[in-house]
Amino acid sequence: MSILPTTNELGFFEIRLESIGGLGANLAGKMLAEAGVLGHGLNGSNFSSYGSEKKGTPVKAFIRFCEPEVEIRAHSPIEEPHVIGVFHEALYKTVDVVNGLQADGIVLVNSERDMEAVREELELDHGTLAVVDAMSIAVEENTRINTAMLGALYRVLRFLDVDKMRDVIRETFGKKYPHIVDANIRTFNRGYEEVSFKSYEVPEGAEQKPFERQPSRLGYETQEIGGIISAQANSIAKDLSGSRQGFLPAFEQEKCINCTHCDTVCPDFCFVWEEREDKRGRKQMVLQGIDYQYCKGCLKCVEVCPTSALTEIRETIGYSDEHRVKQTFPYVEGVVK
Amino acid sequence: MNHVITEKEKLQAPAGQQVSFESGNEMAAKAAAQINYHIMGYFPITPSTEIAQYLDQMKARGEHDIKLIPADGEHGSAGICYGAAVSGARVFNATSANGFLFMLEELPVQSGTRFPMVLNLVTRAVSGPLDIRGDHSDLYFALNTGWVILTASTPQAVYDLNIMALKVAEHHDVRLPVIVAFDGFFTSHQKRKVLSFKNREVVSEFIGERPTDFPNAVDKENPVTIGAHMNGDDLIHNNYQQSEAIYRAEKVFEEIQEAYEKLSGRAYPTIETYEMEDAEAAVFLINSAAETAKDVVDRYRKQGKKVGVISPNMIRPFPKEAVKQALKHVKAVLVGERADSYGAKGANMTLEIKAALQEMPGQQPVVLSRVYGVGGKDFYEQDAEVFFNEALEAAETPVAAKPFDYYGVHAGDSKKRLLPIIEPQHSGSYDSGLIKVTHDEVTGKLKVKVPPLRQLMNKPKRIASGHGACPGCGIFPGLELFFKGIEGDVVVLFQTGCGYVVSAAYPHSSHKQTFIHNLFQNGAATLSGTVEAFYEMKRRGEVEVGDDFTFVMVTGDGGMDIGMGSAIGTSLRNHGMIIVEYDNEGYMNTGSQMSYSTPIGHMTSTSNIGKAQKGKAFHHKDTPQIMAATNIPYVFTGTEAYPQDLIKKAAKAQWYAKHEGLVYGKLLITCPLNWKSEERYGQTIIKAAVDSCFFPLYEVEKGKTAITYNPEAKNKREPVSEWLKYLGKTKHLLKPENEAIYLEFEEEVEKRWNRLKAKHECEYL
Repeated sequence: MSILPTTNELGFFEIRLESIGGLGANLAGKMLAEAGVLGHGLNGSNFSSYGSEKKGTPVKAFIRFCEPEVEIRAHSPIEEPHVIGVFHEALYKTVDVVNGLQADGIVLVNSERDMEAVREELELDHGTLAVVDAMSIAVEENTRINTAMLGALYRVLRFLDVDKMRDVIRETFGKKYPHIVDANIRTFNRGYEEVSFKSYEVPEGAEQKPFERQPSRLGYETQEIGGIISAQANSIAKDLSGSRQGFLPAFEQEKCINCTHCDTVCPDFCFVWEEREDKRGRKQMVLQGIDYQYCKGCLKCVEVCPTSALTEIRETIGYSDEHRVKQTFPYVEGVVK
Repeated sequence: MNHVITEKEKLQAPAGQQVSFESGNEMAAKAAAQINYHIMGYFPITPSTEIAQYLDQMKARGEHDIKLIPADGEHGSAGICYGAAVSGARVFNATSANGFLFMLEELPVQSGTRFPMVLNLVTRAVSGPLDIRGDHSDLYFALNTGWVILTASTPQAVYDLNIMALKVAEHHDVRLPVIVAFDGFFTSHQKRKVLSFKNREVVSEFIGERPTDFPNAVDKENPVTIGAHMNGDDLIHNNYQQSEAIYRAEKVFEEIQEAYEKLSGRAYPTIETYEMEDAEAAVFLINSAAETAKDVVDRYRKQGKKVGVISPNMIRPFPKEAVKQALKHVKAVLVGERADSYGAKGANMTLEIKAALQEMPGQQPVVLSRVYGVGGKDFYEQDAEVFFNEALEAAETPVAAKPFDYYGVHAGDSKKRLLPIIEPQHSGSYDSGLIKVTHDEVTGKLKVKVPPLRQLMNKPKRIASGHGACPGCGIFPGLELFFKGIEGDVVVLFQTGCGYVVSAAYPHSSHKQTFIHNLFQNGAATLSGTVEAFYEMKRRGEVEVGDDFTFVMVTGDGGMDIGMGSAIGTSLRNHGMIIVEYDNEGYMNTGSQMSYSTPIGHMTSTSNIGKAQKGKAFHHKDTPQIMAATNIPYVFTGTEAYPQDLIKKAAKAQWYAKHEGLVYGKLLITCPLNWKSEERYGQTIIKAAVDSCFFPLYEVEKGKTAITYNPEAKNKREPVSEWLKYLGKTKHLLKPENEAIYLEFEEEVEKRWNRLKAKHECEYL
């Protein structure tokens, strides 16, 4: 008797986790798959998106479940999932997180916002939306958000046994980090308890979220031979604010003594300086602020600031846009900044 | 062979087997641990690195006795393996892509002198351009090495073929090394339900005792000469013996796999066929892609289309008869290849299949060749459909409209070309005019004037925002501080490593001036070529007189391991360039494996902590002293924690590179991810490393050592524990049970510091 609520043409029930490196989505995917395969006797596969990308960059984890007698031959990423877990809302800026979601699919989002706000942003008209403030749970329990997300996922998935996941958590962390087993069990339980969710009616003929396999930007006629890039420093067009994990530095210019310590330690060159005249009419470099487009929230600057010009704050929606001081680059004429 | 493990089968499996959920790399490690090889000499490279990591974890837990030897590069790892093999030991290795190419010259030595071993080749695209994901361009280089090659399409096959591989290699009729090749990421990193033997005795019994009836290097009763050189009259016989042996390997493999099937319940024919009995159109694919194609066969068969899949479990020797047999009734076959043999109108499998088919009597099948899925480009069901459709069409015609082609390319949209975003940054932009270096003809010393940092905030950064380094990464603050001291134009070369990977990920670049990448055993040599070419062209008047560059080679500590030979050679030649090393004490780009610069006792993914092992076994490399011994004009150390000190040294470095020759500098930087430290404490941590005298700030200028910041003199000296306490990777060292290792580390730091002070005092040291 199948425990899987639904399957696709190849017999798979598919889950995709959308995250940034460092939040533990990869491990969550592995634990979830293990619980399903070894705990429930399902067949399954699990993997992550691969690349040289580092902590703070978008990643995806994939889980396929099927009946024990179904063979898994597909290796390709999951494009039309039944369930999507969104670990970080800042991803919306760069990733279409609900791409390809089934019409009656489930979306779980880590957010402190209310359900309607999230629903509106993701344009979810049908299916199930679940929201959990996994970040707050993780901050309070001193864990990562992944076990909170798993707890919440278990609540909405229903077909998996929570005790089996607790076993997997004990085994996974117990081997190397026995001291954090209890905190992770608590985080899991709280995710399970604190998630709120709501199902929206799936009308007859409702369509899944469209999915697109984006072709690469360049082709053999437009790519310079040998892989050469002539557009130096074009990474300045990237938005890295999605790398932050809930905190950022706030700057108060009145308290700044222009000591340059922050600039010296900043890995992402976020500090914006301008030449100004001081009281005696001498030209001096004066710190204007932070370009939050590049700030990954490491807080090294806060640590070295000798005054209280830089302080650590919990990031709220809209703060970085409102307080951003843009870097001035020698843009080519006509380039949209 | 792909196999779904049903509950029923679990009970029926002849020898006691257990179910687990593991990846190809985990299964390769498991097989190696159960075989309990004597030696693994290895060097980390994605995506094969995990195999050594898993084995190190197991070793730390005391689960096997394999001596794991971290080499200085793949060439070294192959040397270690060969040396162990000639001693009659059982030897294992794993590598990928350029690692495989770097060891390539050792491989025919291993096969030609007939010493068995097993190498796992986790297939990946060969550079360049560099691409860390999977294809078969490395595998195709293996075809002419004289090694037996088995191909494993699933994690289960990785385990099974690894066990059989050693038995094939050691077989009296073969005596050849064996490669087990499987797809990088698709197979190496995807977790599947797999079966393995519960008891390693089952494996030991299957592979049998280590053969002792062959000459080896450590038998005093029977001393031998291994590796005498030959002339053609003799070499041809050696080659003939080897050729005969590799052909015998096919039959030997068949026998061994039959025995293994009885033991495990899983069969591995040399050529696996799927729905081929009456197929009119077939697709031939190596490894994981063949699995995807089978799903399409199932669907097409329901629609009445007669299609099938052929995939090999062995490609050396090439199982010609089995291929002919499989294609006997086929009208058209499409050979999909995850690599090209440029200029041959089809890659290697196409050519070999065509060669086999031309021996067939009568009408031969049409052969289509398609290069697809290189560099990890995904192979979806829809792609397999296109392959079958093309084969079906050719079967109908029956001619090949396009015998050879690439699949999955597009012309691109001219509106989406990459266009410059910023104006070219050169000369004036980087001349602050505030940094002055003058040479005192009388004393022979350099006088350096550097302004307060605030005045340098006008000078633009050399590296652009938007790079993909982890939050809190120490690489770029360290490098930018260094570049602050360099005036005018630069040409930089980054060797492979984190700094490269996050700042030059196509189609993005985070470099404002010219940037070059080359593989990291060769960066120093490469840039020395650039330097000399520039000056030679200038001498001939082909470059504008006013043009001038400072040439800077940037490397990690990993690059200074594998690239040490190149760096020393370049130093001895004394080219006018600077080598800057950012040292984060490990191979962080590939997942935090130990480097020679990792201090003793520190935990990395290949120096794990457990009951049987406590972190890295030996002391950290003293690279500045090694480089100073090449007698180059200037060597320095620096950090972001002492910015003025570093900027001054950079200014000196530039002067020496332009006037006297090669400069080497080492920057200690934090890697919060792998040091398991808090990102925010980056500078505090580095400061503690300096103040504990683990990383003294000093320079060696024309042979004379000067400590530029002495924490003792400033009453700032701290014990090394004050540094280690910030790091998760050394937490264990501060526990009472590991005091001995801690003290050994402390003693080594003290010894090196005292030696440095003596050098500072005496110019002849």
